[in-house]
Amino acid sequence: MGRDSFEIIVNGVKMIVIFLMMVQVVPILVWLERRGSAFIQNRFGPNRVGPLGLLQLLADAVKFLTKEEFFPEKGIKFLYYAAPVSALIPATLAFLAIPLGAPIKLDTFEMFGQTWGPYTFLIQGYEIGVGIVFILAVSSLAAYTILMAGWGSGNKYALLGALRASSQTISYELAMGLSIVGVILLYGTFNLTDMVTSQQGPLSFLFQGHTVTLGWLPNWGIFYQPLAALIFYAAAFAESNRLPFDLAEGEAELVAGFHVEYGGFKFNLFFIGEYGHCLVASALMVTFFFGGYQIPLITPDEMLVHVQGLMGAGNAAAIVNGLLHHVVFLIKMAVFVWIFIQVRWTLPRFRYDQLMDLGWKTMLPWALANTILTAALIYVAHT
Amino acid sequence: MTPDVFLFWFLALTTVLAALGVIISANPIYSVLSLVMTMVGVAAIFVTLGAYFLAGVQLIVYAGAVLVLFVMVLMLFDLKHEIHAFTRGPVTGAIKIAAVGLLGGMIVGAIALSANSLMKTENNGIQTVIEGDSTKALGKLLFSQYLFGFEALGVLLLVVAVGAVALARAKGGTHAQH
Repeated sequence: MGRDSFEIIVNGVKMIVIFLMMVQVVPILVWLERRGSAFIQNRFGPNRVGPLGLLQLLADAVKFLTKEEFFPEKGIKFLYYAAPVSALIPATLAFLAIPLGAPIKLDTFEMFGQTWGPYTFLIQGYEIGVGIVFILAVSSLAAYTILMAGWGSGNKYALLGALRASSQTISYELAMGLSIVGVILLYGTFNLTDMVTSQQGPLSFLFQGHTVTLGWLPNWGIFYQPLAALIFYAAAFAESNRLPFDLAEGEAELVAGFHVEYGGFKFNLFFIGEYGHCLVASALMVTFFFGGYQIPLITPDEMLVHVQGLMGAGNAAAIVNGLLHHVVFLIKMAVFVWIFIQVRWTLPRFRYDQLMDLGWKTMLPWALANTILTAALIYVAHT
Repeated sequence: MTPDVFLFWFLALTTVLAALGVIISANPIYSVLSLVMTMVGVAAIFVTLGAYFLAGVQLIVYAGAVLVLFVMVLMLFDLKHEIHAFTRGPVTGAIKIAAVGLLGGMIVGAIALSANSLMKTENNGIQTVIEGDSTKALGKLLFSQYLFGFEALGVLLLVVAVGAVALARAKGGTHAQH
């Protein structure tokens, strides 16, 4: 087996594993959401099937798969069936571009009777130089899935839901994109891995030639860009059509919005897509503002020395170090996913004009102000 | 056939076929969805050329924002009359034939003009600056050498936006009486 084909296989397997990870996390999130909402509303939630109701997920999957196949009479076949399939694509492509753990630097090792050279294994689907632009680009395509579903269903509720969803998505995309501009100015790069690397160690920055260091705070983006973090996270809620911005589904007004005609597994695909957007938003939150996969105050290289002290030098220590940072990333991400759930069961829904006002008249000007302020501050700090 | 060549032909064919779909399909919704496909195809071709930033911006601006608006507007219209007007009748037929003729002439002209340009080796005035960080180079060029064009385009877009609002208001906007 040649080196190139080996690398292609490794990367292919890695992408499939990360994709499956994203998809497999969804049932657990559904369980967490149902139990969590029950906890918040003083109910029990699903607790009958299996320990803690955990096997409810399996029962749900069987239910989804065995439901009757249904096609609405006035629907358009191609669009109707294409929409749920393409619902998964934007979130998956975006998630694959996010660094999920510290790169594992392997020394030479023996395998299949050959010596394999030093190799850096990234816990990331693919590394792209213009990471942020790529993620914004692919997630902006999510609007088409919703529009295709709305139009293909041949149902007025579905169409109205789709129009609401897509207008909301493009309105908040502007605020989201502008809030990220401050982050890009701060780190001076589009590359997500470089961003994470520049957040390592304790808080320290250069101000007019003096280095200011605060040893007890990690060097996270949230301390430089608090407003951007707030706007980004709020816009992410709107982008993934979650409460308090779930006007697209508004049960009381639109029955269920764009997926009213979908049942069984086709509905489930939309569901996975929605949770995928939540996961991507949480992962981006961690990457931009909370140090990515890094353990607070310790750089991955210092951690590697600690791990090597315990396990001895070698590839095993490097792998353990990489996985450790991966777990740290997942824990940080889980916090933000939980906030998604908590907010959904705490806040009521906006009215539609309030939603548009918030997007265009509040978040957009503040994001713009944040961009200008950041640019000015960076100019002052570097003179 | 190397992978690069295969990729180029695949993307080029997809893009051209999607572009053809824009003008062939009678239903405006399919036209716009084909246009989206064309934009995505063009972005993918940008990626194969190494212009990642341009590809991303192409997707964000055209596929992500502009065309979503097109689709939304089309979905809100009652299109039966338009579909009928644009698919039947001798005048429409004549326009179609004329459009095909123009397109054919353009293709022939483009091939005739660019037939020898690939063989030329000397640099004919076009700078090749994309080395290393192409995004930074693009930004520098845009805000130094091509600043006037860039700003003029911005003003043009503003004029278009104001004009569109003025036209829509003159006809009564969404509450027009027929």
